[in-house]
Amino acid sequence: MSATTTVAAVAPVTRRVRAYFAPVNRSAGVPTVFDPAQFGRFPAQTPPAPWIDLGWVSKFARKCSTRVDPLRAGAPAVTVGQVRSEIEATVSLEFEVWGKLQVTLASGSQQTNLLTTVAGAMPNGSGGVAAAPIPLAVGSGLASTATGLNVGATAAAGFSVGNLVAVDVDYTGQLGYVGTSVSAAYVQSASAVGGDVNYVRRVTLNVGVIVAIAGGVLELGSALPAGAPAIGMQISPLVGFCDREGASFFQEWSALFVMDGAQGDRVLFHYPRLQTMQGSAEVEDALTAPLERIRLAGAFRALPVKDGNDGETVLCFRSYLPAALRGI
Amino acid sequence: MQNAKDTFYLTLRGRLAALNPARTTVVRGVVRPGILVEENELPTIAVLVDAFRLNWTALRVDSVGPLPMVTMECSIRYATDGESGNGGMDRGRLLAGMDAELASALCIPPQTTAKMNYSGASAGVAPIAMGTNVFWADPIFGDAAMVGERLERTATVQVFAHQEAGEL
Repeated sequence: MSATTTVAAVAPVTRRVRAYFAPVNRSAGVPTVFDPAQFGRFPAQTPPAPWIDLGWVSKFARKCSTRVDPLRAGAPAVTVGQVRSEIEATVSLEFEVWGKLQVTLASGSQQTNLLTTVAGAMPNGSGGVAAAPIPLAVGSGLASTATGLNVGATAAAGFSVGNLVAVDVDYTGQLGYVGTSVSAAYVQSASAVGGDVNYVRRVTLNVGVIVAIAGGVLELGSALPAGAPAIGMQISPLVGFCDREGASFFQEWSALFVMDGAQGDRVLFHYPRLQTMQGSAEVEDALTAPLERIRLAGAFRALPVKDGNDGETVLCFRSYLPAALRGI
Repeated sequence: MQNAKDTFYLTLRGRLAALNPARTTVVRGVVRPGILVEENELPTIAVLVDAFRLNWTALRVDSVGPLPMVTMECSIRYATDGESGNGGMDRGRLLAGMDAELASALCIPPQTTAKMNYSGASAGVAPIAMGTNVFWADPIFGDAAMVGERLERTATVQVFAHQEAGEL
């Protein structure tokens, strides 16, 4: 039997970094854990559930601020060992696209949907009093799904292709983290949000864009992050997104960054818990004067998790999947 | 290095043919996809229009690391006179079409492919897959130039490959 020979290992050559998002259960403090042993080779454009593709990022920079100090003994003192006295890691990057998730993560704080207002609403910096929500049809026609919202023919006539919609539950006095699927804000008291029935839809990340309307169903361009709407959810049209410098909420997400090597190898960086560490920021990329492309800039601090294999406190998992038949 | 050159050419040929099967040319009486490597053809001063003509120019070898990395520059020239039925007034459109085809073919992911050894390949004999990949950067497009009534452009692309043990 002749043995297959391996090729000498080489340093990965990569073109760019792709980012993926998954929610952290803020109430329970439980992140989404990515298992590179099971899913490390997923196709770049179709990450395993519940991971969501954030597209390419640039200026991806990891910074380790973990402090290693010498442990000295004797006279004169001699270093006899080392100890980690601080564990810290940060990540900074620039998103290549302005999607809802990207804008939210780079916002530094809570991100607000600019819900369509009622006629004559008083002006407000993050949007005035919202119009009444539209209920999802129940018990008649097609059931709503993650990509199709059945509102009935009459209500559907009030929407147009291209409209943006937020889909979530009514605010009925919930306290703590709100937002279906992804914790989008923290409510300290009902009075703080004025008992606004639309408040959860005002902050939710469960949004979509209408690409077709047929038979009373609003077809969305991509699946809602929270999946098929639950009973009681309603729809609020929106015109865009808003974040606020100085707001108190800290965004937190489970992050995965993938670098595909030219030889078929792959490097993965998994931060189970990343919290924003700066306010909303943009970076101008000069094209030809006076044109500038504006990228969303984000900076995040890693928070710890316990590795189930040995209980170690960990901020980031770096995995390397070699190309086929490489020397290791 | 020849394996990398052959692999890049045949990959680009396949992608261009898939994008626009109608872009063909006739070389020595044979209809082929509209792309050729000039050093592989009979020398001629005639300019083949409405086809992509590849030339390998600069070469650099980085011997740091267990496998030397070869960087080759591929110069891709293309020209059009426009359609005679249109009096050549569509030459800008035709050049733009070739620009788009080339950009798409070179920038479609993945911008990497398995290196193949075609030296022994023939009808019924498949090329041999090597152990590493060929990969390339995004193309850089030069200015469009008018030569008489002809419109032409040159794009360059950096092609990279690792030189495997025993490979010439």
